[in-house]
Amino acid sequence: MNLFGLARSNFKRSVREYGMLVFTLAFSIFIFFNFQNMIYSDAMKVLENFNKDYIDMIIHAASVVFVIFLFFFVWYASNVFLNQRKKEIGIYIFMGLDNSRIGKMYALESCMIGFLALFSGLFLGVAFSKLFQMVLLRLSEISVDVKFSFSVKPVAITGMMFLAIYGIMTWKGYHTLKTSSVLDLLSGAKQKEMKPEKKLVTALRIGAGTGILLAGYGAAWNTGGARSLENALLAVVLVIVGVYLLYSGLIPAILRSLTRNKRYLYRRERNLWVNSLAFRIKKNYRTYAMVTVLMICSVTVMAVSIAMKQRYEKAMHFDQTYNYQIISSHSWNGEEIARGIEQENEVEYWNEIPLLMMDPELFHTVYTDYMYGVVPCSQVEKAAEAAGLPFPYADLADDEIVKLEHEILMSFVDTDHSGEIRMIGEETYKLRGTDTTPYLGKIQTYSDIYIVSDGAYERLRPLGVENRLYNYRIQDMENMEASRPYLETLAENSEDGTNYTGINFTESEGKDDSWIRVMYSLCLFMFVTLVLASGSIIFLKVGNDAYEDRQRYQVLGKLGISKSVLGKSVRNEICFTYYCPFFLMAVTSYFSVRALGNVMKENLFCVNLWSMGVILVLFAGVCGLSVRAAKRRLL
Amino acid sequence: MNQILEVKNLSKSYGRGEYQTAVLKDINMTVCEGDFIAIMGPSGAGKTTLLNLLSTLDSPTRGEILLDGADITAMKNRELSILRRDKIGFIFQEYNLLDNMTLQDNIALPLSLNGVPSGQVIQRVREQAGIFGLTQHMEKYPYQLSGGQKQRAASARALITKPRILFADEPTGALDSRSSRDLLECLKMVNEKGQATILMVTHDAYTASYAKQVYLLKDGRVQCRLNRGKERKVFYEEIMSMLASLGGERE
Repeated sequence: MNLFGLARSNFKRSVREYGMLVFTLAFSIFIFFNFQNMIYSDAMKVLENFNKDYIDMIIHAASVVFVIFLFFFVWYASNVFLNQRKKEIGIYIFMGLDNSRIGKMYALESCMIGFLALFSGLFLGVAFSKLFQMVLLRLSEISVDVKFSFSVKPVAITGMMFLAIYGIMTWKGYHTLKTSSVLDLLSGAKQKEMKPEKKLVTALRIGAGTGILLAGYGAAWNTGGARSLENALLAVVLVIVGVYLLYSGLIPAILRSLTRNKRYLYRRERNLWVNSLAFRIKKNYRTYAMVTVLMICSVTVMAVSIAMKQRYEKAMHFDQTYNYQIISSHSWNGEEIARGIEQENEVEYWNEIPLLMMDPELFHTVYTDYMYGVVPCSQVEKAAEAAGLPFPYADLADDEIVKLEHEILMSFVDTDHSGEIRMIGEETYKLRGTDTTPYLGKIQTYSDIYIVSDGAYERLRPLGVENRLYNYRIQDMENMEASRPYLETLAENSEDGTNYTGINFTESEGKDDSWIRVMYSLCLFMFVTLVLASGSIIFLKVGNDAYEDRQRYQVLGKLGISKSVLGKSVRNEICFTYYCPFFLMAVTSYFSVRALGNVMKENLFCVNLWSMGVILVLFAGVCGLSVRAAKRRLL
Repeated sequence: MNQILEVKNLSKSYGRGEYQTAVLKDINMTVCEGDFIAIMGPSGAGKTTLLNLLSTLDSPTRGEILLDGADITAMKNRELSILRRDKIGFIFQEYNLLDNMTLQDNIALPLSLNGVPSGQVIQRVREQAGIFGLTQHMEKYPYQLSGGQKQRAASARALITKPRILFADEPTGALDSRSSRDLLECLKMVNEKGQATILMVTHDAYTASYAKQVYLLKDGRVQCRLNRGKERKVFYEEIMSMLASLGGERE
């Protein structure tokens, strides 16, 4: 049998044995291809009306993240594969094969597996591309007809990207085998020794790990102010470093101390699985840390998408509080305008607010191009009641003001200036707070307006020009254009500019902002992909450990240890490998999601809870599969 | 003396029909409490097969094996597992200590996994370690120990459950002469103190000379049995001359 024949027969065998590896590689290719296909597919050309440039940019960004992930994932998977094969490959040395030829055989075999994964991934990717796009668009609430289309470019990009990464890893494996000693090959990747560590180093790792992680949590806690971005970035770096140090310091130390406490250790099956964990943690900690970080990323990505969607919906709701806004230098009969609108549309509610426009200089600000004004408290309260908006400022004192703000997607600036003292004209007022309730509708987006008490309004009236604001909301927003001709007849502007009436029509739904919804859907996909990736990394690791453990469990069986005791030990050890990273992720994601919530001005605690719930369910499933597979292999 | 193990007409063959090879043929033997039996024989004589059958790891083609009066050949896997746990101890040629735990934890393993309270486990481990001269090495991992120390630890682990019978498969096979002697002295001591009934398979006459009885197996049958007198050295000579005579016959 020549080298190729040997590799081919190994390949046939390993396809069965390493099915999980082929499957995970193919799955990664499937996802990556579909991301690329979104950019180049003809079917997606319809998105050009929906700010496709933005959408492409997001998909590109997602693809970059995915390439980085793919790189690490392929690296890890090929390492597991190589380690499992080492011992078997070592035996070929006794058949007269030199290291270089063994390396070549491995490379051939690895290429076969790579190509199988690539072709099956691409095939599935192409076959399901229409479904993928349909699901994505459906999630994004964009209704367009998706047709099946095939273009070579995404296939070529996916293929080249995978082959490049996989090629590097295969070459690395080849190089490792070529330079490995016979002894190394024969003993495989099996850990032979408990790696001791100096107490001082352990203490440093524990101290640094805990300290850095806590500092990371602290930085995440302190977001929301002017240093948000800085703190958020600092938190990311600190948490990643902290998690690594925790897995290499504190957690091994806890496990070692558990193995030293014999009264604890000799109960139930702990002697087996706690010892096994303590022995292996030094070898496995990078995997645990990688999975933990990956899961924190997935939950954060999820929270970003939900927060964006919530913000977007709030902004849409903000804009659509009123469909028509009329601002005029003189009084109109609001009732009459409503009747005019009702010729074509049914009015759901309407209100009227006096608005005192003032010179920016009276607000002692440097931003003089902006529009400034005040509104009287009682009138805003009346308007809010008509529009069904809450109004908690009925008791506004004479020296208090409330700033009206608009909804924004995210802010790295601290917008809470409660308690600050502001000057309007020569008078000082205490800022009671800022509010994003759309009492004045879209006017709040373009101007700086304050609610003042009725008394204060009267005092300020001589300093500005009073306008009247009439706001209307109709039942059927799709039919908004029908009332436009009537409303346009109201518009006027005298030559000297003292007599004017302007009308503002709100857009029914911004197609420009569809990218936010596409981003939301892509983030959902990223979340699922990252969680599945985390699960499959642990699955591969557990499979690899079980491969090493076979002999141990055979001995235990001979010693008369019952299968149920051994089964419990296997289950406990595997559960730790899944739930320890999960627990750390749960704690850390609370801080990361909170930080995000601060920046995006959203309460994301529920999002955090249910995304953890989803991960828990997925992990419980994969953990169950792992336990079953390991039991089958070991018992 | 109490009878522990009784073997009646035990046969074992592999293969089917014309290709059947009989490895053991009508073996009969009895093991009583306090016995220290060595089974010797050339390669392929069926020593390990016999040990595997007696220790429930394999099932015979024909015959009965009664352990404390119960026929183990009729038992199901679950019962056999319980039997191995409660009544049988094992020593393997390759020690088979778990490399991911300390010596102390290795010795404690059978008791701790069988629900014995931690306090008792710790106490019993200390006693066993004392008997086998391992007190100084309790915190070490198997890779930090010599072959002899590992095999003594394996013996301590096998005896910690106070089994009715201890099976040893070539226990000195991987040891140098000094380590072999240390191990055999320990086994002899526990046997003489009435703490262990031992059935050992070996091809080495020196190892066998520590036993009280030696069975010689050849071509699947017990060819002869030797009983030790007072002197171990004399017994060793007897075994050697018996092997020489049997070897001569073969030639």
